[in-house]
Amino acid sequence: MDFFYVIVIMVGIYVILATSFNFVIGYGGLISVAHPAFFALGAYASGILARDLGWPVLLTMPIGALFAFASSLLISLPSLRVSGDYLMIASIGFQLGLVEVIKHVSFTGGPGGLTAIPQFLVRDYGTVSYVIFTLVIAVAVVLVTRRIVNSDYGRAISALRDDELAFATLGKNAMWLKIWVIALASGLAGLAGAIYAHYFRFVAPEQFEVLQSAAMLTMVVVGGMRTIWGPVIGAILLQTLPQAITFINLPPSILGPLQGLLFTGVVLLFMFFRPAGLIPAPAIWQGGTSAPIDRKGKLDVRGA
Amino acid sequence: MSAVLEIKGLNKAFGGIRVADEINLSLHAGRVLGLIGPNGAGKTSLFNLVCGVVKPDSGEVFLDGAPLAGLKTFERARLGLARTWQNIRLFPSLSVLDNVLIGANDYPGTKLTNVLFRPGMVRAAAYRNLEKAHGILARCGLSDTHDKLVSDLPYGRQKLVGVARALMSDAKCLLLDEPMAGVEGHSYAAIQAVVREVAASGIAVGVVEHNVAFVRDLCDEGVFMFSGKILARGAVADLISDRQLTELYFGT
Repeated sequence: MDFFYVIVIMVGIYVILATSFNFVIGYGGLISVAHPAFFALGAYASGILARDLGWPVLLTMPIGALFAFASSLLISLPSLRVSGDYLMIASIGFQLGLVEVIKHVSFTGGPGGLTAIPQFLVRDYGTVSYVIFTLVIAVAVVLVTRRIVNSDYGRAISALRDDELAFATLGKNAMWLKIWVIALASGLAGLAGAIYAHYFRFVAPEQFEVLQSAAMLTMVVVGGMRTIWGPVIGAILLQTLPQAITFINLPPSILGPLQGLLFTGVVLLFMFFRPAGLIPAPAIWQGGTSAPIDRKGKLDVRGA
Repeated sequence: MSAVLEIKGLNKAFGGIRVADEINLSLHAGRVLGLIGPNGAGKTSLFNLVCGVVKPDSGEVFLDGAPLAGLKTFERARLGLARTWQNIRLFPSLSVLDNVLIGANDYPGTKLTNVLFRPGMVRAAAYRNLEKAHGILARCGLSDTHDKLVSDLPYGRQKLVGVARALMSDAKCLLLDEPMAGVEGHSYAAIQAVVREVAASGIAVGVVEHNVAFVRDLCDEGVFMFSGKILARGAVADLISDRQLTELYFGT
């Protein structure tokens, strides 16, 4: 049963990661690969504060998220002023650099990883409580994201993605909008990291390398970029599918490579047969719920 | 009469090419000024300099007496400077209505904290903007297309959406970059009527346009630009009948 719980917790964590990553690259159109770096920052910050300073986990988790949120300024402030490809380059550098730093300072546990991270909920209330905790947060993240992308904010992000210059000449501050989009998504990735750290009680730097970026990107692309449910389905599918084949009794020497093949195979198949993902994004922005408007676009006077 | 937009001694060179050479120009409330001249005369560059898309080498721009130097494009727009683009630059993933809505100056929805924690305020603004946008769409004759993708519209109507989007901001000064290029028939008349109406409401309008008939019918006054310089200012009919200027225009 524990094996099943682990899968569900991992699905919940990856739903948060893929949803927030989609917010940046899908909705925001901001090509960054550093999402795992913020996942790591949240995990390490929360883990270290709880373990070495003895702070309650309920407090360190939001602090971990805030730490990732604030750290995103390190890549967004310098690169967004220039914009475009520079963000991607800066994000690669940030991720590589961060993993190296984690490996080479002592308070993170170095290359051996951070061990004996305090548990949360599990000892007092059992594993199921943590499963519920993770799923509640994952659902909340998806719902809040849906609310944001369908609001006036979502309209602004769409416009910004389409044409930044036209957006600016309409009196909108493109730079701050981009900084906020990245910060929010990074904060959510940090939260996912904290949730991960206090369940598995161990994090190591190599978990947050570029393979992790590829995994998140695959979930978003296979599920359906710029949709709410796409990354959710992508996360569920790509977390459970590689696990599913472990039920077939195969020797580990075959199982490992087979999982890898399955993973890349899925990506290749989608590239050829369904490039827009399982749930293709609509051509036109579907939001507008914050404006009192009915389906025909007529003014809903009751909203006045 | 004080100018809404005042350009003083503006200079800009890209390498050896001078796109603005000691430009002095003023736009007045309720009046339409036409900028004519051959391609490469610096008309669009002048708009880019005024909007802050391009930084001038020297010179100053004032909007309602306030200097715009050092202000970013979006800050200038908020002060009341609106423009359209030669190649329209609409937002392709938004409907016609949403393209216009995003033009609103009072748009609290660009702040995440407003969206999450002050939904009532955002909703109230959204309601005001929606009512206003529908009014502008009706004025431009675009009401029936409000839910369409902009790319599904004919070119002329796309230009109208660009004008509608610029009008959404309550600008004091509206700069139109070739509103008529590629436009004919119904949209032509519609744009003409809208621009007249805009000027009548007290907005200062500047138009870059190659369609001489349009400029003559619409503009109270015109300036002739050639290689970054303003060569003449006066009634459009006089400018286009001037033989010297005509020769420059057609390069004969």
